[in-house]
Amino acid sequence: MRAPDGRRLVRLLAATSLAGALLLPAFSLPARAADKLVLRVGATQDLDSTNPYQTLLVVGYEAFQLTYNLLVDFGPNLEAVPGFADKWERAADGKSWKFHIRSGMKWSDGTPATAQDACYSWDLAVAAIAAGENIGAGYLDPGLADAGVTKVECPDDETMIAYTEDGSDRVLQAYLPIIPKAVYGAKDYKAIGEEKFDAPLVGTGPYTLVEWKTSEFARFARNPNYWGTQGAADEVVLQFYTNGDTMMQALKAGEIDYARDPNAEQLKALEGDPNIATVAGSANGWVQLAFNGYGASNGKTIKDGGPSTKALLDPAFRDALGYAIDKKTLVDKVLGGYGDQGNTIVPPVLGKWHVEPTTPRTFDIDLAKQKLDAAGYKLDAEGKRLDKEGKPISLRVYLPNTDEVYANAAPFVKDWYALLGIKVSTQVFDTSTLGNLVLPPEAGPEYKADYDIELWGWAGNPDPNALIQIFKCDAIGGSSDSQYCSPEFDKLYDDQLKASTAEDRKAILATMQNMIYDQAVYDILFYNADLAAYRTDRFTGWQNQPLANGKPLFTYGTLQYTLLKDATAQPSPTAAPTAAPSGAPTTAPTPAPSGDGGTGSGGDLTVTYALFIGAIIVVVGVVLAFIFRRRSARAAGDEE
Amino acid sequence: MRSRPVSARYLARQSAQAIFTIAMIVLLNFILFRMMPGSPDRVNPRNPNVTPEQREAARERWGLNDPLLPIGITLDPPGITITGENQLFAFIAATLRGDLGYSMKYRGKSVVEVIGDRFWPTILLIGLAEVIAIILGLALGAYAGWKRGGKADRIGNGLSLILYSMPYFVIGMPLIIIFAAGLGWFPTSGMLTAGATYTSPLDFLADLLSHLALPLATVSLGLIGGYSILMRSSIIETRGEDYVETARAKGLTDRRILRSHAFPNALLPAVTLIAINLGYVVGGAITAEIVFNWPGLGTLTVDALDARDYPVLQGIFLFLGISVVLANFAADIVYGYLDPRVRR
Repeated sequence: MRAPDGRRLVRLLAATSLAGALLLPAFSLPARAADKLVLRVGATQDLDSTNPYQTLLVVGYEAFQLTYNLLVDFGPNLEAVPGFADKWERAADGKSWKFHIRSGMKWSDGTPATAQDACYSWDLAVAAIAAGENIGAGYLDPGLADAGVTKVECPDDETMIAYTEDGSDRVLQAYLPIIPKAVYGAKDYKAIGEEKFDAPLVGTGPYTLVEWKTSEFARFARNPNYWGTQGAADEVVLQFYTNGDTMMQALKAGEIDYARDPNAEQLKALEGDPNIATVAGSANGWVQLAFNGYGASNGKTIKDGGPSTKALLDPAFRDALGYAIDKKTLVDKVLGGYGDQGNTIVPPVLGKWHVEPTTPRTFDIDLAKQKLDAAGYKLDAEGKRLDKEGKPISLRVYLPNTDEVYANAAPFVKDWYALLGIKVSTQVFDTSTLGNLVLPPEAGPEYKADYDIELWGWAGNPDPNALIQIFKCDAIGGSSDSQYCSPEFDKLYDDQLKASTAEDRKAILATMQNMIYDQAVYDILFYNADLAAYRTDRFTGWQNQPLANGKPLFTYGTLQYTLLKDATAQPSPTAAPTAAPSGAPTTAPTPAPSGDGGTGSGGDLTVTYALFIGAIIVVVGVVLAFIFRRRSARAAGDEE
Repeated sequence: MRSRPVSARYLARQSAQAIFTIAMIVLLNFILFRMMPGSPDRVNPRNPNVTPEQREAARERWGLNDPLLPIGITLDPPGITITGENQLFAFIAATLRGDLGYSMKYRGKSVVEVIGDRFWPTILLIGLAEVIAIILGLALGAYAGWKRGGKADRIGNGLSLILYSMPYFVIGMPLIIIFAAGLGWFPTSGMLTAGATYTSPLDFLADLLSHLALPLATVSLGLIGGYSILMRSSIIETRGEDYVETARAKGLTDRRILRSHAFPNALLPAVTLIAINLGYVVGGAITAEIVFNWPGLGTLTVDALDARDYPVLQGIFLFLGISVVLANFAADIVYGYLDPRVRR
């Protein structure tokens, strides 16, 4: 006999309403509190540290640049524009630079920002350089070393003098944040590298960090004391995603305004969306085949290590291999058509310094074969290419596991080299293993440079020095992954440092770029594209840096943030009449949050979660108890 | 008669077993991570400015140059060295102090702090999903099993099998595309609107629940299948038992037999599954958390793995290991109450 279905229905309804009660509030109201205009920027990279000297990631650079000014900032085409200093000039002696610090500038907390802050910040790096050490992770202070800065002086609150070895204008590109001496002044270069830089931070940048939740977001409030044009956004929130697809859905849904670094397919999927613009900027970096040329300059060999064939030390061999690489196919297939074919060691995005090779290699398998034959690398009866010792050439290509482009490029290289009779085996490593694997004994007795070709990439600075120094002799055992050494190249490097004009420097850099290209030390496969997508219905005024082939955010400096305008802004009777539409440097029409970040996002939420979970457990418990009580009551009834 | 306590001997044996297992977990935790390839040298090897000396100094500072084990065996010259300064002893001592070290990725933050931040979000999502899945899954399974071969069984069991075999991201991504990006009913991801300020607790709760809805639905759906399938087969087994026949002979209603006789007895295997699953709650549901960008322990695990953040990984594994052991311990005790045969 079946019980009437009525009660079952009641039970079902109860269960459904319990589930519904959990979901219902979601529909009831959109949860966006407050009417701040927030620029939301999505990134699949996570912020690792808010300490400018500790961060290793692009997102970390963006975070500290929003908060702190550089002494001299970067303009739309990477030119020097006012930052913490508003004017500068080379002194009459030609070796020192005089910087004028903006009068009346204030930190976000309202205290005066003076030359003393600049001197303190630069002195940290000068002290580290003098001691032969680095600050923190060691990425920032080399900028000053590269510019040859030996001493800084601040005779008054508006003047900073930087003494350099050669008066080079690289001093204008030094990537050092100016941090407030009043807050950190007691720390030396060692201590500042370990400093926590907990939010809220005090800065002179357009937005200052007020809140950071690891792997979730970093929130920046508008700096009411910012000296430049105020951007339309009251706040900037960098949001971190572990999954790129989710980030792109968030962009489509309008939850974020900008998505950093989607892949080619994700970018193509956005085509046709009228409110989303996509950009493929040229990256300041490349992916290369680095040939292990260990011993080419000095005849040294490594026991149980080094390149597997001496052919790799021969420029003619490497040159011939270059004709077997179809770079157009690589850009099309590996980068989805975004990016540029690779050639010289200064990326095209640094248009001021990049040159195209004088004698470029083209994709021509037959020519590659002829060149190999002519250089003395013949085929044997089985079609295997032999080195001059008569051994079949078999190359080990090692690549990192960090980005799919490496793994996607490797099979092409393997197939093309196979057409020449050269066998290629590929192996993937994590970055730190690979980094150690390519190190030669110069880095320590345990290192063996036991590889033939390293398929990896580099990213540079606004100045080409960071990338070209990889080919200096003293980079062997450090950053060199080609083990290349040429006294002639080293001399050119020093010459370009001393070049008095940009034209002279470019001429020397051109020689250096052609030298590495002609000797095929590297085969640069492609310059990656920096992909980005952004919504145009909430903010307008997106500007690329560089204008021609850059991207709007995650560039050098933070100019682009201040150019953004509210796309939805409409004149309304209640709006303040002074709200100038065209970025006049007035104070913001909306009440700007103070440096402390206002009320924060809910304070300590742990208690709320706990209460919430507790409430759910109580509800579930009561329901279960109710069911069981009825059950036992009935069971008792049954047994009678 | 109903709730006679389990014997002290039984309790002691179970406790000893749990403590021994936890000690082994601590040891394994240490060994496992040292066997992984790669090195956590904080100084990035791709920094063109870093010299070998600086890298060496970093290794020294992180204690990576101390020997791994207290006993070292060398072949040339042959010998055995014993040293007190080694990574194992330092690790055990610190673990006992509750000091899990500092995160290597989020420099300056302690592991306890990093894991603590992610604990509640995971408990909230996975814990709640477990509760929903247990209630719905057991009910669905019991009903399907009781009506074996009927329409309800065919649909219920089929549905359970489909859900059981679907990974979270297969359930989650369509939900995002339809309900978040498409219809705009829910946010796509995260646990709260990033950086939002709330005017009232209700405001906060609404934001939390709207973010919770899709991931909760995903994880619940993913879990229901397992419970339902187990409960169904368990109910089918009890259906043929004598006491069920007796109850039927007594003239009890079908529903009453299921609820009062078959269901409680069929619950035993489910208790084991529930206990094990509850132990894993703190591990989070990695794929679900990643799809929804949920700031829980699952995403933390992946992030830490990516960054070779050994201390954080060790912390998560230790935490997860201990909670699985404790959940099993609890299951054993509950079993002791439920089933007199294992009490001694």
